[in-house]
Amino acid sequence: MSANSQSTVPVAIEVKDVDFHYGKSRALKDINLDIHRNEITAFIGPSGCGKSTLLRCFNRMNDLIPDARVVKGEIRIDGVEIHSPEVDGVELRRRIGMVFQKSNPFPRSIFENVAYGLRIQGEKRKAVITEKVEKALRGAALWNEVKDRLHESAFGLSGGQQQRLCIARTMAVEPAIILMDEPCSALDPIATASVEELILDLRSDYTIVIVTHNMQQATRVSDRTAFFYMGEVAEYDFTSKLFSNPSNPKTEQYITGRFG
Amino acid sequence: MQTPHILRDFDHAISTLRGQVMSMAAITRNNLERAVRSLLERNPELANAVIADDSEVDDLERRIDQLGMEILVRFHPLATDLRLVISSMKISMNLERISDHATNIAKRAKKISATAEIQECTLIEPIYALADHLLRDAVAAFSDRDVKLGASLHERDKELDKMHKAANATFGARIEQSVGRSQDYLHLILIVRSLERVGDLATNIGEDAVFLDSAKDLRHESKRNV
Repeated sequence: MSANSQSTVPVAIEVKDVDFHYGKSRALKDINLDIHRNEITAFIGPSGCGKSTLLRCFNRMNDLIPDARVVKGEIRIDGVEIHSPEVDGVELRRRIGMVFQKSNPFPRSIFENVAYGLRIQGEKRKAVITEKVEKALRGAALWNEVKDRLHESAFGLSGGQQQRLCIARTMAVEPAIILMDEPCSALDPIATASVEELILDLRSDYTIVIVTHNMQQATRVSDRTAFFYMGEVAEYDFTSKLFSNPSNPKTEQYITGRFG
Repeated sequence: MQTPHILRDFDHAISTLRGQVMSMAAITRNNLERAVRSLLERNPELANAVIADDSEVDDLERRIDQLGMEILVRFHPLATDLRLVISSMKISMNLERISDHATNIAKRAKKISATAEIQECTLIEPIYALADHLLRDAVAAFSDRDVKLGASLHERDKELDKMHKAANATFGARIEQSVGRSQDYLHLILIVRSLERVGDLATNIGEDAVFLDSAKDLRHESKRNV
C-alpha cells in the first residue's frame, strides 16, 4: 500500500480498517486507503471485487440498500467521520457528487438539468442560477455546444454530451469530491476522449475517484490506482508504477490478462 | 512464462517476438564469429558471406519493430509484457549494430587478407573471445531472465576495454616503427575498436535484460553515482 505513505499531498478521504457487509456477506475486508486531494484516483479490479461498493460508501449511497452497512472501521472526509451523527446524508451527497455508468439526465431542458440541484438547495435568485448553470456547463466543456439550445430537452444530446451534462449537474452544486462509477463505459471512443479530457481539467478544483474496467483509461487519467481483489485492496500505488512494475503478483496477473 | 494469457493471439505474438530476438542474436553471434575467423584464416569468401548475411539481421530488426508496434497497438501490454516489448525492440537495435561491426570486421579482413600475412592478427583472438562471451551472456540474461548475469556485464566489459587499449598500443607502435604495413595495422586498430564496441553493446543488452525482469534502469548508473 505504498501510495498511502509516499506522499505529502493532503488526504481528502481517509479509509481506515473498513469492513462492509451486504447482509451476512462481507463485501469489503479491512480496507485502508488514503485518497489525496486534487488527485484522480482509479479503482480497478474484476467484477464483484468491491470497488463500486467502496465508492458508494464515500457518499453513503449504500445507506439506501437494506442490510448494507459499514460494520467496522472509519471513513473520514476532510477529517470528519461520515457516519457520525452530526453528518447529514443529503448534505454529504451535495459535497460529494456522483456520476454514474449510464448518463441519467432528467426529462427536462438542458438548463433545468443543471439548475436542478441549485433549486433543491433553495436557491431562488434567477441571476445566481443562470450564472452557476453557465459556469458548470463551461466547466464540463459543454457550454459552446449547448448555449444556443439551453431550453431544449436534454434527451436531444448525444451520449457523450449527456454524460458531460450529468457532470455539469454534479458540478453546479460545487462539491469538493466527484465520484465516477464507470463514467465512459457506454460511450464511443471520441465521447470517451472528451470526458477524459474533462476529468483531467477538473483535477485542479476537485478530488476525483473513478471506478473503471478500462485499464487504459486508468493509465490515461489517474494519478494513483487501487487494485481490488475479492473485497480487499491488493495493491495501491502511483498509476505509472502499478501499471509498469506492480508489486503484487495478483495485480501483475490481472493487468496483463493472465487472471485465473 | 507463467499463466497463459486469456487471448491466445497475444501469447502467440509475444512468443514470436521472443523467438525473433533469439534468432537475431544467434545470427549476429554467427556473423561476428565468421568475421573474426575470416581474418584469422585469411578467408575472403567467408568475409563476403558475413557481409551478405548482414541484410538478414537488418530484416529481423525491421520485423521485430513491426511486431512490437503491432503488439502495442493491438494488445496494450502492461507490466512485464510491456517491458518485454520495449526490451525486445531495444535489444534488436543493439544486435543490429553488433552485426554492423561484424560486417566492418569482415570488410577489413578482406583487405588484410589481400596482402602478406601479419603475425599480430592472432592478438585479435582473445579480444574476440571475451567480446563473444559478453554477448553470449547478455543474450542468456535476456532469455533466462537472469538479472544477476545481466548486471555483471558492465564490470566485465572493463576487462575488454583494457585489452582494447593494450592492442591499440601494440598496433600503434608498429605504425610508428614504420614497418611498411601502416594501412593493415590501422585496419587491426579499427577491428579491435569494433570488438570493444561489441562489448559496450552487449552491456546494453544486459541492462535491457535487467529492465525486463526487474524494471530497474541501470543505464549511466556509474555517472549518476559520481
